[in-house]
Amino acid sequence: MATMISGASSPLYAKRRRKNVITMGLSYAATAFGLSWLALILGVLFYEGFSGLSLRVFTEMTPPPGAAGGLLNPIMGSLVMTFLAVLFGTPLGILAGTYLAEYGRYDKLSSVVRFINDILLSAPSIVIGLFVYEIMVATMGHFSGWAGAVALAVIVVPVVVRTTEDMLTLVPDTLREAAASIGLPRSLMIQKVAYRAARAGMITGVLLAIARISGETAPLLFTALNNQFWSTNMNAPVASLPVVIFQFALSPYEDWQSLAWTGALIITMAVLALSITARFLGGQSKKS
Amino acid sequence: MSMATFTVPTVAQQSGNNDDLVEKVTIKDLDFYYGDNRALKNINVSLYHGKVTAFIGPSGCGKSTLLRILNRMYDLYPNQRATGTVRLDNDDILAPGQDLNLLRAKVGMVFQKPTPFPMTIYENIAFGIRLYEKLSKSDLDSRVQQALQRAALWDEVKDKLDANGLSLSGGQQQRLCIARTVAVRPEVILFDEPCSALDPISTAKIEELIDELKEDYTIAIVTHNMQQAARVSDFTAFMYLGELVEYGETTRMFTAPSDRRTQDYITGRFG
Amino acid sequence: MNEQHTAKAFDADLQDLSRMVAEMGGLAEKLVADAVDALAKRDTTLAQRVTTSDAAIDALQQEIEEKSVLTIARRQPMAVDLRDIVGALRLANDLERIGDLAKNIAKRVIALNAEFPPPKLIRGVEHMTDLVLEQLKAVLDAYARRDDAKGMAVWRGDEEIDAVCTSVFRELLTYMMEDPRNITFCIHLMFCAKNIERMGDHATNIAETVHYIIDGNPITERRPKGDTTTIPALSAAGK
Repeated sequence: MATMISGASSPLYAKRRRKNVITMGLSYAATAFGLSWLALILGVLFYEGFSGLSLRVFTEMTPPPGAAGGLLNPIMGSLVMTFLAVLFGTPLGILAGTYLAEYGRYDKLSSVVRFINDILLSAPSIVIGLFVYEIMVATMGHFSGWAGAVALAVIVVPVVVRTTEDMLTLVPDTLREAAASIGLPRSLMIQKVAYRAARAGMITGVLLAIARISGETAPLLFTALNNQFWSTNMNAPVASLPVVIFQFALSPYEDWQSLAWTGALIITMAVLALSITARFLGGQSKKS
Repeated sequence: MSMATFTVPTVAQQSGNNDDLVEKVTIKDLDFYYGDNRALKNINVSLYHGKVTAFIGPSGCGKSTLLRILNRMYDLYPNQRATGTVRLDNDDILAPGQDLNLLRAKVGMVFQKPTPFPMTIYENIAFGIRLYEKLSKSDLDSRVQQALQRAALWDEVKDKLDANGLSLSGGQQQRLCIARTVAVRPEVILFDEPCSALDPISTAKIEELIDELKEDYTIAIVTHNMQQAARVSDFTAFMYLGELVEYGETTRMFTAPSDRRTQDYITGRFG
Repeated sequence: MNEQHTAKAFDADLQDLSRMVAEMGGLAEKLVADAVDALAKRDTTLAQRVTTSDAAIDALQQEIEEKSVLTIARRQPMAVDLRDIVGALRLANDLERIGDLAKNIAKRVIALNAEFPPPKLIRGVEHMTDLVLEQLKAVLDAYARRDDAKGMAVWRGDEEIDAVCTSVFRELLTYMMEDPRNITFCIHLMFCAKNIERMGDHATNIAETVHYIIDGNPITERRPKGDTTTIPALSAAGK
């Protein structure tokens, strides 16, 4: 019969084992605690929101209290403003990130830019909303969808700058040298080699930025306000899902409340889908 | 401070078949600085067309640094500068007005770690060609094929030109990098320890390749494998602590070197 | 910079080779001295011992060859190490030939059995042998100490041996012309003299090898030759 290597006889070893078991137990407990809250939130969301989910939600406008309706205009408004925010914010973010990672790598200016970017990244979104209110809504004299898009863009930019810089920095210098060694000019090297190598990571960054702004309510309160009706005029207040949820959830009307739950569920599902896509893309890039 | 034991005329006179040496790259009084640190001291050496010159020496002696001056790769980084002259044919490549991209098209480099671009095999080669020439699809195809044949890779990849460059084995990737370098038709090729990441068979294939390529190019190779230097090169330069200690025909260097330090290094007596 | 290799076993291998060559050299010297001794003293027992002792030299040559090849395969020697090993191989060859020549002399002593030449003639051969043994000792010393000057002195000193050989030949010719009964032992003696002269040539070969090991370049001087036995034949042939 074979015997196993055992150190159980030594008291030092036994003490270490005990410590190990206790610490592991605490870790598991903490994880379970955190996960259970997540499960609880998702559970409640599904329970409350799922019943309200129907085709009507996607085809009808927000109703006055007591009437039946859907979430078409806030969904539309959110989609449009998100799209515009990404349109404004992504090129700016990518170019700034490229500067930090490539051209300005050894510049003193870069460390300043990075620092400011990090501050912006964690700036309270309500402050951003107020800022855009001051420069756009106050000067224009009215709320607008454009202001909402700009506020969201200001949130998108630091996220994209950060991920672009990180992903580009991950591209090994040997690749850059290889490109330089055949006489490739810097800008072409960045476009055709560095971007291509960091592509998946950069796209992930944009997706994460979208996921982030999908749920932002505070900036929209001061900029796009809200709109009960269908509107395609970006120069006027535009409805958005987070603001509608805010409004309906606080109201005393049952059907509004149920629509709020449904809206919350829709946002959560969208963010989940984006995160999974981002993760999938990240996995793909590791494979190549 | 020691004087380099190098004289071209002596080398040229010693052996009959070296009467027609064509000087391609001439390095004179070259110093190189990393910040304030003088990494290369007073280097004087020449590279000849149709010949392979090997640079050997212990770690940190400056051989890779010297190689990277020849295509001004150090320009990519701050705080690194070179003084002296390096002539490629008649142009001083260290001159401030030198167009770096044109220089690097003439002086190609193959690195220690194979680095194919994240593209298909075909694109890896075509990419460089497209930079300089506008060719029809069929011309481009034949240029790509030529480059791959020159790198002894054509037979292995001709059926999978659309595969990603990174899907090849290490030795194949390195040959792909050689093909990529050769595709832009340089005049000088620099090899920086090209085989140190490869297995012995891939190493042997690449040494064969260098032997075939040297007819049409000027080749410089940095290697820490002395037997490889002995096999592959016509001239060898031994460097130590940033100085060129000895330079001469490879056959002499490895059977009867003049400098005691050279002998101690190549026989493995370095402490 | 050290005198020693980073790989200590390499140093040990090279020292082994040197030692084996020195051993072979010692054996060869002894064999030559004994063979000519047997000739002078007409001692067939000694001569018999010489013929069997040559086997030891042959065995050493085999060992040296094997060790050299193994060391080359293992260590990929360069420069002075490579010349050392190649030199050891060449020396082993020359010393083995010297051994064979000594054995040949001993065989002739046994063959002469009854008819022995007068001591006067043998003296010439003994003189040659003394010179050759001096050369051998000097060149093996030069090898052990890696002394190039000493080696070159040996290389130039072969002239004297050749001169003595020529005079021995002339003496023997006269003897043979005097009386046909002298021819047998004179011929044997001629061969012995020629063998010893060949040993002198091998000693100069060894000197050339020693110079190559130390310097790395072949000798460019022309070796002074004192052997005129072949020159009349050459000039007769109109060369």
